[in-house]
Amino acid sequence: MIAGRTTIDVSDLPTTTFGHRDLAWWGTIGFILIEGTTLVIVAMVYFYLRRNFAQWPPPRTAPPDLLPGILQVGVMALSWWPVALLDRAARRLDRGAVRRWLVVCTLFAIAFCVLRGFEFAGLNVRWSTNAYGSVNWAVLVTHATLILAEALEIIVITAVFFTPRVTERHFSDASDTAPYWYFLTGSWVLLAAMIYLVPRFWTSP
Amino acid sequence: MTDVAAPPRLAAERIGSAAPAPDVAELERTWHERGGFWGWLTTVDHKSVAKRYIITAFGFFLLGGILAAAMRLQLSRPENTVLGPDRYNQFFSTHGTTMMFLFAVPVMYSLGLYLVPLMVGTRNVAYPRLNSYGYYTYLVGGLFLWVSLVLNTGPDTGWFSYVPLAGPEYSPGKRVDVWGQAVTFTEIAALVAAVEIIATAFKMRAPGLSLHRLPLFVWAQIVTAFMIIFAMPWVAVASQLLPLERLVGTHFFNPAEGGDALLWQHLFWFFGHPEVYIIFIPALGIVSQVVTTFSRRQIVAYPAMVLALVATGVLAFGLWVHHMFATGLPQMGMSFFTAASALIAVPTGIQFFCWIATLWSGRPRLEVPLLFILGFVVVFMIGGLSGVMVASVPWDLQVHDTFFVVAHLHYVLLGGGVFPLFAGFYYWFPKFTGRMLSPALGRLNFWLFFIGVNLTFFPMHELGIDGMPRRVYTYLAATGWGGLNLLASIGATIIALSVITFLANVAWSLREGDVAGPNPWEADTLEWGTASPPPPYNFAELPVVEGRGGLWSRSEARPVVTGLRSDLREVLVTTVLDAVPDHLHFQPSPSVWPLLAALATGVLFISGIFTPWGFVVGAALVTLALVGWAWPRGKELEDQRRQEQRA
Repeated sequence: MIAGRTTIDVSDLPTTTFGHRDLAWWGTIGFILIEGTTLVIVAMVYFYLRRNFAQWPPPRTAPPDLLPGILQVGVMALSWWPVALLDRAARRLDRGAVRRWLVVCTLFAIAFCVLRGFEFAGLNVRWSTNAYGSVNWAVLVTHATLILAEALEIIVITAVFFTPRVTERHFSDASDTAPYWYFLTGSWVLLAAMIYLVPRFWTSP
Repeated sequence: MTDVAAPPRLAAERIGSAAPAPDVAELERTWHERGGFWGWLTTVDHKSVAKRYIITAFGFFLLGGILAAAMRLQLSRPENTVLGPDRYNQFFSTHGTTMMFLFAVPVMYSLGLYLVPLMVGTRNVAYPRLNSYGYYTYLVGGLFLWVSLVLNTGPDTGWFSYVPLAGPEYSPGKRVDVWGQAVTFTEIAALVAAVEIIATAFKMRAPGLSLHRLPLFVWAQIVTAFMIIFAMPWVAVASQLLPLERLVGTHFFNPAEGGDALLWQHLFWFFGHPEVYIIFIPALGIVSQVVTTFSRRQIVAYPAMVLALVATGVLAFGLWVHHMFATGLPQMGMSFFTAASALIAVPTGIQFFCWIATLWSGRPRLEVPLLFILGFVVVFMIGGLSGVMVASVPWDLQVHDTFFVVAHLHYVLLGGGVFPLFAGFYYWFPKFTGRMLSPALGRLNFWLFFIGVNLTFFPMHELGIDGMPRRVYTYLAATGWGGLNLLASIGATIIALSVITFLANVAWSLREGDVAGPNPWEADTLEWGTASPPPPYNFAELPVVEGRGGLWSRSEARPVVTGLRSDLREVLVTTVLDAVPDHLHFQPSPSVWPLLAALATGVLFISGIFTPWGFVVGAALVTLALVGWAWPRGKELEDQRRQEQRA
């Protein structure tokens, strides 16, 4: 022992925290900012190119099919419920509940992927037809990469929770899924409004 | 189970007066990075990764400089035949791309990756493996660009790759795709570094180092990191849309199908202008640290300095259109961007006055780092003044695409970036290596650089006013441009001599330089409170900060943090505003997965320009690498458990 030193003892501080206290949360927010900026940019490209068209969508092009779009937005909105429950279960370190809600969230993530496939099929235009087609595909593809990334993450976390390898750190990771999920699905509500409603209600300049 | 809901306790409740001394030998074992080639590949120590970044970026600076020298040789006299037009196009495009994307931006944030954890008093960056991934991604991108150039597939449409020239119609082949994807790699690396710096600076500061005590270099790095986050995605989108246009036939930039060539310029410059400040703002941070240390007093008007950095970062996003004055914009838009371009001089002016006041009221020592800062003041001011000139639309239209702009941008980037960078090298070299650089060679380095830069670029103002266009590989004798071009080429030779002097200084000093000791400049900030070079764990005991900066305000008691485990890679996480100890965080150990993930990213982007299936295969490999990276296993899993079971 060294006497006479002024020290701050941190040995009994917690090792697991959630939300903004946690270091990984800041990484998640950082990537939300980056990807959010990316989505804003593709939306700006959409409106920038729209100015070049007397008619939007161009003549002989049907607007994107509504059904997959409505289903996607609906399923995404519904998914907020299990994600919120997952976040709560993780924060109270309830492994059984976390497992349950991770499985539900994984199913939702897979549903997003399948519905995105139908959304592509329902665009009614190819990327190479004209700038309208290009930008619609760009918006869907950009957002789809985020869906795929989230699906991969949730599948891996779920797998970990079904092994003996799980640690408290993973509860924090599971909780961190929530802000990214809200961003992923919330941003799509806005982008879907653009993709599906602009060609219907703002067809000419 | 630990008490996960416990709120952070105030530091005052934890202050004691007796604690066991740290087990340095155990810390050494815990944070030790393996030696040999494998250890080299797998390191996650922020200092090792950042040193690699700095050395690699400097290597690219030399390569970019060789291209510049070749161009100056070609232009040294009329109708020269050293370089043909095609090679010249590749050289100036690769020179610009290299200097901006592979040198200037990475070298600035890599200084942050080395210094921010030390300046805030922690053991590593927030996400050590991600940091390693960022470096390897950057390296893959840089090598891809340069191997392509050697294979005669270097980009040839400028560092900005304007469409329609860079589009599928006018640039068939793979050269522009190489540009697009090489840039993509550097974007990923920069974004990763930005997230690292923000999380480290906000959440890993030593107790007591509240935001209003943060060194200005760290503030500059934070502002830059946010700028990277909001600026880089623009070029990321652009550099993906362009290859798509060329590879799968999209029409974003094709006016015949409703696209728009000007869209490219907006996307590029909304990134491109902030990019200049992404280089310049860290340099401002260097200037503030050097001025503080060598004036031997705290900076004058610290709050104004911080606000000026933030204001510069914000205003930098409102200037991009001044790169597009010649595209026929509405009068209102041009007036707005002229005003915004002039406005950004205000926060920079505030900083200049504060530095002068600091030097004036301090006891300045004219060491080599301060000499380079004085060089920065002169050279950058000339660049700033020509910037005010080109901010004016009528003048800009006269000199657009002439050598006047080449002169302006080199004055700004060399003055605002490279002079402070040299100052930073001379200042922190003792910390990086434990040895001082030779001051005599340093002064020679400075004077050669100062004379060389002015001799090279000042005549270009006149050449531009005379009408010599940029990006031409030769000119006729009758133009009368030969004399000034020869002068510029002589200046370039002097710059080369200066850089050789610097390299010689580094080589000599690494072996023969004076041993530095922990704090050779008697500086204030925390990086000088540990050994030179710092041990792998940075500090045996994390410091407790009692005033601005850290060391000058230390009391006799020299308070420290105790209770961090030395048998595990454990770091202290503190609160954002006041740096109150909040919790303990376990950090990952060395790993090869970041390298594998970066290689998979390489397959994704590089093979993707040859076949769309490359994207599919690359994406699958990236997925595998990320799963391997995240999967808990082995000793690390045990260590994580041990850490969590402490309570």
